[in-house]
Amino acid sequence: MDGHRQLVNLENIMKSFNQNAVLKGVSLEINESEVISIIGGNGAGKSTLMKILTGVYKPDSGTIRIGGEIVESYNPHVAHVKGIYLVPQEPVLFPNMTIEQNLGIGHPGKLKKSELRAKAKQLMEQLEWNLDLNRMASSLSIAEQQQVEIIKGLLRDVKVLILDEPTSSLTFAETEKLFRIIEKLKANGVGIFYITHRLDEVFQISTHAVILRDGKVTLKGDIREFTKDMLIQGLLPIDSEKKGKFSFVKRRVNRVKEEPVLQVRGLSGDGFRDISFDVYRGEVVGLAGLVGAGRTEIAEAIYGITKPYSGQVLLNGKDITRLSVRETIDQGLAYIPEDRFLNGIFSITSITNNVTAQIIRNDRFFLNRKLERTVTDEYVSKLRIKIVDQEDEIRSLSGGNQQKVVISRILATKPQLIIMDEPTRGIDAAARSDIYNIIGQLRDEGYSILLISSDLEEIELICDRIYAIYRGRCNVCLEADEIDVTNVMKAAFGTYEGV
Amino acid sequence: MSRMSQISVSVFHFLRKHREFRTFGFLIALFVIVGIFNASYLTPDNMENSVRSSVVYIIMATGMTFVLLTGNIDISVGGVLGLSAAVSATIVRNGGSIVTAFVAVIVIGLIIGLLNGLGVSVLKIQSFILTLGMNEVLRVVQVIFQGGRNVEGLPTSFQRITQHEILGVSTLSIVVILLVIGIHLFLSMNRKGRYFAAIGDKEEGAVLAGIPVKRYKIYAFMMSSVCAAIAGLIFASRIGNNIPTTAGLGYEMTVIAACVLGGVSLAGGVGSVLGATIGAIFMTSISSALVFLKVDAFWKDVISGSLLILIVVFDMLLIHRNNQKAKKQRLNARVLEIRKEM
Amino acid sequence: MQRLMKNTLRSSRWNLFLVLILILELVIFGQMNDRFLRVDTLLNSFDNFAGIAIIAFFVTFVIITGGIDISGGSIVGLASVITGILYQVAGWNIWLAAAAAIIASGLCGLLNGLLIAYVGVQAMIITLGSMLLFKGLAILLFGLSGVSVAEGISKFPTEFTDLAHIKLFGVIPMYLAVFAVMLLISYLLLHRTRYGRYIYLIGINPNTARYSGINTKRIIASTYVLSGFAAGISGVLLTSYLWSARAEFGETYLMPMLTAVVLGGTLITGGKGGVIGTALASIIVGFLQLGLQLGGVQSQYTGLAVGLLLIVSVVVLGVSGMNLRIKGVLNVKKDRGGNQNA
Repeated sequence: MDGHRQLVNLENIMKSFNQNAVLKGVSLEINESEVISIIGGNGAGKSTLMKILTGVYKPDSGTIRIGGEIVESYNPHVAHVKGIYLVPQEPVLFPNMTIEQNLGIGHPGKLKKSELRAKAKQLMEQLEWNLDLNRMASSLSIAEQQQVEIIKGLLRDVKVLILDEPTSSLTFAETEKLFRIIEKLKANGVGIFYITHRLDEVFQISTHAVILRDGKVTLKGDIREFTKDMLIQGLLPIDSEKKGKFSFVKRRVNRVKEEPVLQVRGLSGDGFRDISFDVYRGEVVGLAGLVGAGRTEIAEAIYGITKPYSGQVLLNGKDITRLSVRETIDQGLAYIPEDRFLNGIFSITSITNNVTAQIIRNDRFFLNRKLERTVTDEYVSKLRIKIVDQEDEIRSLSGGNQQKVVISRILATKPQLIIMDEPTRGIDAAARSDIYNIIGQLRDEGYSILLISSDLEEIELICDRIYAIYRGRCNVCLEADEIDVTNVMKAAFGTYEGV
Repeated sequence: MSRMSQISVSVFHFLRKHREFRTFGFLIALFVIVGIFNASYLTPDNMENSVRSSVVYIIMATGMTFVLLTGNIDISVGGVLGLSAAVSATIVRNGGSIVTAFVAVIVIGLIIGLLNGLGVSVLKIQSFILTLGMNEVLRVVQVIFQGGRNVEGLPTSFQRITQHEILGVSTLSIVVILLVIGIHLFLSMNRKGRYFAAIGDKEEGAVLAGIPVKRYKIYAFMMSSVCAAIAGLIFASRIGNNIPTTAGLGYEMTVIAACVLGGVSLAGGVGSVLGATIGAIFMTSISSALVFLKVDAFWKDVISGSLLILIVVFDMLLIHRNNQKAKKQRLNARVLEIRKEM
Repeated sequence: MQRLMKNTLRSSRWNLFLVLILILELVIFGQMNDRFLRVDTLLNSFDNFAGIAIIAFFVTFVIITGGIDISGGSIVGLASVITGILYQVAGWNIWLAAAAAIIASGLCGLLNGLLIAYVGVQAMIITLGSMLLFKGLAILLFGLSGVSVAEGISKFPTEFTDLAHIKLFGVIPMYLAVFAVMLLISYLLLHRTRYGRYIYLIGINPNTARYSGINTKRIIASTYVLSGFAAGISGVLLTSYLWSARAEFGETYLMPMLTAVVLGGTLITGGKGGVIGTALASIIVGFLQLGLQLGGVQSQYTGLAVGLLLIVSVVVLGVSGMNLRIKGVLNVKKDRGGNQNA
């Protein structure tokens, strides 16, 4: 592009996991002294692409050229040798080693200890980061850990450096210093991929921007040609590919007459501050935002998994702040956790046992197996769950059907309010519209639903009202008539300024 | 005031990083307390004796540390010790040289370690269960090997290797301590030596850093078994004659306890052979201290058992607190600060 | 083949497989020695392993929750010593003494449970430490009581020493009756009650259990209490059976106990298994020892068979379990899809 030497060229990279296409033919190249910002919503394929670039994943098809040569057998070791290094968003340090040991371990070069120290010190001086190399990694704050990861990358004489949301836990001043280092690396000819959600930063440091959406590059070019609005536009779906033929009539609840089912008042806790919102009967309310914005933390504080610092949660006018999970369930709250495999299902046991896990509490002492089967049958037919036998293990089901089993489990407790955290993640398109139908059906039956989703199109599609969470704060509420993809997107990226 | 607290904080950090010093503190406390009641406990002779009588445990604890660092456990060391004691004693009795016995013992250790290591790293069997079964098998193999009888009629030359002294100090103790220091330096300073701790510290990180995880786990088990095998030879030489079929029975638990007392974490990633050594000396010193205090010996297991539990519980509370703090920081770092508040 | 293994893992089929092995044992040992197949020989053989099996039933609970309890053997010795001292030294009524010993055993389990569930230390470490502690307590109490080791505690009233030797209806030995009753209790608890279901759910996925409002800590802790109680009962029975109280009772229980659980098809990683399998496996192990002894193999060698059985079963179940685990990991990756940062 600028006549600089080409460092890496990815051509038509495709990658899918379990028939789920994540990258649908991505081409990307980086030359010396370029800083390319990669922007995309959650699930756009950014991290998969970067993992392919660093040899962690093998692409299904497409070619990788490094320094003009096609690389055949590629793995993380080769990537290190060729000078490609990824600074992960979540630091992977060895907690019980010192910073120095962390910097040294796995270093490809035969660097002497004293040289390593000197080099690290020099880098830290430039960055004005003051870290004692003898400190244990476990004693570092998250920002410091990230600094170590960045230094680790810089120590390696990299040619291509990938920074995955490096500023997500740095302060403003620390960020500025990092940017100065990036400028310097740029001047030295290093190519940098910069993954971020913060659009301001994109304009501040990058030379180019690439927008990934749904496994494809939708926008690519010199940063000087773009404005913020153009970037937002690039993130939006093209009308024709909107989710299916599904239509949802948005509802406006008469909020003057009715009491809200759930009231959250000034709730603050780890990862969120001063959150207030309401959910009314028969309403689907969305909590929009990006991963890490604090939505799950809010939900967990409401549900009783964690304790908030201050604020109030009322369910049907009753104060349920700081109750235990069991007590909030008794009060009529239900929560479908975001990571189904990690928190949602009991994988190696039967479908029945999964459906009844919460209602067996009502049994006196011995289990009522007959009732368990009846209840399971009821929900299997109600939610049209495709199963062969109730006694089959739940992991034999598809993701969508697993999720329906989880929904059955919480419906069986007859809740007042259902919090759904990313209910359609990792689910194919058909099952997805099934879940949407179920949400609609539940709403019509009078359930109140709080929907957390990073899929902004999904949230735009099915929510009657949307609150946007941006970096732990809730400043935007979109009413039914304000909801459109652009506004939701802007709100999630913290750039919505009202109508 | 703040200076004081600063110092205490840095002392705290130092102790966290060098957990072996904590055990060393226990050891000194033990000596001082016992010394107050009975000054003869503090004689150099007695101290030398403490080390001398813990040599078998020191060697085993050193090997065990490798396994524990990778986050695994090796219960089979008692069985390895017994078998190698039986084999080496039999070789010497039948006229073989001590060198032959030594080589045989090393081979036994290597083979058993390889089997354990392959089972754990390749077949992914829980090390506890696998080595527990292995221990039982080795015990019986030892009984069969000895024909159910004690190994008798050993030449006195066999005892000499552990009795040799330089200036009144056991040569064996000196050699073992020097070796421990060497291994300590290897594990803490050498690039590859640190791989063991890295694997137990964060296995995914070790994989990302390009460490051959499986191979190093196998090395760790081999190291543990070889050490136990050498300990077996020394054990046999110490006894000198009439090696019983129960040689080394229950040693595995004492050795693991010594390691934990010495600051080696059973969760992996933390600890040093120096700490394990101090732990081993501490374990044997408790027995001798009770003798000097004229306290009955039956207090020993209660003391070491409750100390063990106290230490792991204390460590866990500390780790828990740190994790909570880290999580809090991580979440709150993301929050957009509207007002610049301190 | 893998599919076959996976299917056999579904508990009932594995139990069927265990029954087959049992029948095979009966046929083979019956051929070798016609004394083996006599009803009273087989029934009486329960005396030798039922004491281990009843602990194994409740250790099965512990292992299903994803933990482990290796302190049972030490509790057996402690319960025995407590019974003896309370009766002989403190002059309590023998039944009261026995009840107190069983309650104390439950408290031992409670200590384990609290430290594991509420402090969050690995079960392996805590029960290793408490194994040392409880055994030490037994030795300590014995020592403090002033009873000479040579004499021991053995002047129990005949109504107590007869207890373990009673034959119900003239045929059923006491041990078999206790085995059956404890099996029934543990079966009902684990497979028919809400409590039992929670144990499985916690073992399968403690996170989901927590999100489902299950009090995971309390239930995990309770399983250790049950296992402590079972060990206490076993200890009292053994005291009655052997007419004396000794601290080293139960020392050799660990290996056969875990063999029964693992061979019984309970996943060492938790979430799957059952007491029927444990019961069948303990009978298999018991009959194996009996058969070998009747076949002229000395009892000290039968450990080889048990040890090998443990290793083989853990390899077979481990390898088939590995497929489960790999699948699980893949699922996690797919489902999480780069969401580790939420």
